[in-house]
Amino acid sequence: MNISWIEKNTFHYSEFSDLHRLADEKQRKNLKISLCLPTLNEEKTIAKEILIMKSELMTRYPILDEIVVVDSGSTDKTREIARAYGADVFEADHILPDLEKFKGKGENLWKALYIAKGDIIVYLDADIKNIHHRFAYALLGPLILYDNIKYVKAFYDRPIAIGKNKIRPTGGGRVTELVIRPLFSLFFPELTQILQPLSGEYAGYRELFEAIPFPIGYGIETSLILDIYEKWGLDVMAQVDLDKRIHRNQDTRALGRMSFAILQTFINRKKKLGLVDYKEKLYNEMIQFNLVKNKFKPDIYEIKGHERPPMIEVPAYREKFKKPDELTPLHESIVEATL
Amino acid sequence: MADYLDKLPGFVDTIRSMKETIITNIVLIGQIPAPTFNEKRRTSLFMERLAEFQVDECTTDGYRNPIGIIKGTRESKPPIFVVAHLDTIWGKDIDHYYTIQENSITGAGIMDNSVGVGILVSLPEIFRKLNLSFESDIVLAGVIQSLGKGNLRGIRHLLKTWASPIRGAVCIESAPLGRLNYYADGMIRCEVDCNISTDSGSDHKFKPNAILVLNEVINQILKLRLPQKPRSRVIIGKTSGGHMHGVIAYDATLGFEIQSNSDKMVRSIFNSIKDIIEGTSHEYEVDLKLKTLSNIHATKLTFNHPLVKSTVAVMKKLDLTPISGPSESELSILLSRNIPAVTLGITRGDNYHQQNATVEIEPIFKGIAQIIGVIMAIDNGVCDEHQLD
Repeated sequence: MNISWIEKNTFHYSEFSDLHRLADEKQRKNLKISLCLPTLNEEKTIAKEILIMKSELMTRYPILDEIVVVDSGSTDKTREIARAYGADVFEADHILPDLEKFKGKGENLWKALYIAKGDIIVYLDADIKNIHHRFAYALLGPLILYDNIKYVKAFYDRPIAIGKNKIRPTGGGRVTELVIRPLFSLFFPELTQILQPLSGEYAGYRELFEAIPFPIGYGIETSLILDIYEKWGLDVMAQVDLDKRIHRNQDTRALGRMSFAILQTFINRKKKLGLVDYKEKLYNEMIQFNLVKNKFKPDIYEIKGHERPPMIEVPAYREKFKKPDELTPLHESIVEATL
Repeated sequence: MADYLDKLPGFVDTIRSMKETIITNIVLIGQIPAPTFNEKRRTSLFMERLAEFQVDECTTDGYRNPIGIIKGTRESKPPIFVVAHLDTIWGKDIDHYYTIQENSITGAGIMDNSVGVGILVSLPEIFRKLNLSFESDIVLAGVIQSLGKGNLRGIRHLLKTWASPIRGAVCIESAPLGRLNYYADGMIRCEVDCNISTDSGSDHKFKPNAILVLNEVINQILKLRLPQKPRSRVIIGKTSGGHMHGVIAYDATLGFEIQSNSDKMVRSIFNSIKDIIEGTSHEYEVDLKLKTLSNIHATKLTFNHPLVKSTVAVMKKLDLTPISGPSESELSILLSRNIPAVTLGITRGDNYHQQNATVEIEPIFKGIAQIIGVIMAIDNGVCDEHQLD
């Protein structure tokens, strides 16, 4: 396996901490940048994320043009607080209301493409306790400064020492190491160079995101990588070390359901690519057993694996963003760059 | 005087328009744990933020107190110090991540002293936004090793090594808004360690219990007759000891402070407590060690000192009611070196020294305007040619 990608396309956030340079380069390239935060009951963390990003990357350095919150129907004060701190807040169900309604992070990210105005979209999870503006500027750095890079993912945590005074994380969380990495190793060894494929922080050019389908649930991160890889190759991707990210810890059963959705996405992609052929239909229920009064009772979760089509195929979107029928020059340049 | 006072209410709105930057500074700094003696990471961020806000000089002194200097317009005028302590009572293992709601910030250390430090690093940007310049240099000092065993070492060192005179100083504390400290009690902070030998060959027929021995010390301290004048008190502030519920405690520690507005009385009470400890040690045949962690002298500005009068005027202009009391903090060290100084609070809040401490956001803007008003008063010369009593 060629591992030159990890050496060439792996960055540290400190390489992009010159915010003057990023702002100047963004202006020179006449780019618009949107930050999108998908939410569901994030009242404890949402204000902090908006406030720090607004202060550092809008007021002090004109890097972000807007902060968009797409909410899945929070029952706490998420939307109210986000509005109070100056974000543009939308309920996912109210965006493209004529379409069938789904709930999920992928759904919010997909609909954000319709709402956001940016040429570049930065997606950050809204539950980051140790939020810092590096989470956004580090993802933007490679996109603004390197013409060949169109999609950037974050990695962080689990540091190991490499050489003198240098530390780097070794990999991801439990689902990454137990599900994704074995799958990538089996089918796409090159992709194992992406250290944390499930990280919820990534940014990319609109032309990429609009051209690929979005699973509505947990499979979104995996599908983005697989589709971008398949369409444009690994070289349009980069990863950035964000140092440390404090997550909300999830229990094993929740991770089990996440793994189910990811496997579902992965297998569907493999089928589409004609790489595997299943004789029978796959089930869409995750079954977990509980011991209740000395009897095992199943908890059954239906995970349908719905996917939204590429946004560019939605007529309302094409109209709003005046998209022609043919590939845009950027699409072509990406294809050319990867050939 | 009225000239700058009249501007203050108008400042509040401008400061409020910088809400995002001010809260960002409070949060970014407050989320870095900084227990006393471990303030290095917070110091680095403090410097980084000051550098980003383009102060004229940004450095650390020989004791690693981080300092930013905004140059004044008249070199002949001595500098004005604005000081906030960086350290907190919380260890690194405590969750320092803050929660922001519509009008509050919650988290460990927010009331002591994340708001204070966040405001300190925001001042250069606030001055710029308000289009303010001063005759004196403004020295923004985040001082380390202030609390507990830190014994105000940071500020002591900073002032000891600062070569030139200092025109006046403002100490910033997170809360409460309305506090006006201009005098400091004399204080001795002590710790008593009780250790009982675990050797089987020990002479005791029945092993004494370290916690009970210290309990006896506490009982005897409580029996001391303390005068109402000079105003004096002993605060039993900390205890720890033992290892398991079913095992006699072999070690225990008691922390207390003696406070009085008379240094002589502090010393006298200290001697009485020392006698109690020696007597208990002898009676119970245990090892009791008394350590002095901090000793500061009583010192004050009078209420009619121009700095105090001006501060009261600033507060009243902003519809704040001054509440006075003694403060054993950076203020003590500044006053003891004949530097006119006051300590002011920035906002209101709850759960002061708890992990879920919460501050209100809205009062912060008035709290900052008040600090700026006092800096302007000092820059106008209210501290010039006045010595401390």
